[in-house]
Amino acid sequence: MRSQAEVRALLHEVDHRVKNNLQLISSLILLQARRAQDPSARDALRSVLERVNAISVVHRRLFQAEDMERFDLAQFVRDLVADVTATGPDTIDLRLDVRRIDIQAAQAAPVALVVNELLSNALRHAYPDRRGVVEIVVRRIEGAPVIIVCDRGVGLPDPTSPPRGFGLTLADLLCRQLNAECSFTDLEPGVRATVRLPVEPQMAA
Amino acid sequence: MTQDPLNVLIVEDEVLLAAELGYLVEEVGYRDVGHAMTSGEAAELARAFQPDLALVDVHLSDGPTGIDVARLIAEDCGGVALFMTANVKRLPEDFAGACGVIGKPYSEYAVKTALTYLGHCLREGRAPGLPPPSLHLAPAWADRWGLADIKKAS
Repeated sequence: MRSQAEVRALLHEVDHRVKNNLQLISSLILLQARRAQDPSARDALRSVLERVNAISVVHRRLFQAEDMERFDLAQFVRDLVADVTATGPDTIDLRLDVRRIDIQAAQAAPVALVVNELLSNALRHAYPDRRGVVEIVVRRIEGAPVIIVCDRGVGLPDPTSPPRGFGLTLADLLCRQLNAECSFTDLEPGVRATVRLPVEPQMAA
Repeated sequence: MTQDPLNVLIVEDEVLLAAELGYLVEEVGYRDVGHAMTSGEAAELARAFQPDLALVDVHLSDGPTGIDVARLIAEDCGGVALFMTANVKRLPEDFAGACGVIGKPYSEYAVKTALTYLGHCLREGRAPGLPPPSLHLAPAWADRWGLADIKKAS
């Protein structure tokens, strides 16, 4: 049997390696994006980078928490937004209305990717003139953790039907994995994307 | 800009990370003066170039020697280190003289905003506002740059 101290030290070692490898992956992608001559190749690498970053944000938080089996969705959204508010001198106003909701750590990466897709979809397509508001809400509704990403922009041509971009396909697939409901509402103008995660009996408080 | 660009030394044993950091340093308008993979190389380059700022990973090719590198830069080379590590919690309480830490994995944006912020602090001797969320300042440097007043005002 290993002592608790040994287990803790091993966990730290693994945590350290995961974080360093994530860093290595994003540096690789960035270096290759710098070399890419073709703008569409560069854009594709940038979107992969964004997705890797969303997973990195998860891992940065995961081992900082006292309870490593739970993951605070609200804090994740704050961190993610701090990282994306970024990309360029953007004039889109991001508003947060998030409350602490703990989800299982095992769900953290897929949920993070879904939030990333919905957010980057809104940031990329809602406002061609780069002016407007995107709102993100995280709260429990009838016991279920719910994430809402809402804009007042141009809207999707037909948000309920295919074909969709790769990002929304990804979100769809991950929601299936999470057993979550993902829906899009036309706000005329704008789109509200809602992801409703399943209720966990012991966490419904 | 009429000011001399900040001289930045990169102390990182993963060469791809170092290469990418080099680009980021130049993109915010600073000068990348060199890359070191061991504490020995770091000491040599730090003495030769007297960098204003050194980006220092805690774990280098010769062990967890980034801490010593930070201390050396603060005490003998007239510059200051910024740690970049996956083990934020294991830094010494006094940060070995370093001005702060960025946790790995960091994003491109996190590094650029932190570099810009620190450049302002180092030039003006005072912080332009609260640090970006990716950057955790060492208590001694937060004091020196007037963070207490800024927090009070905000």
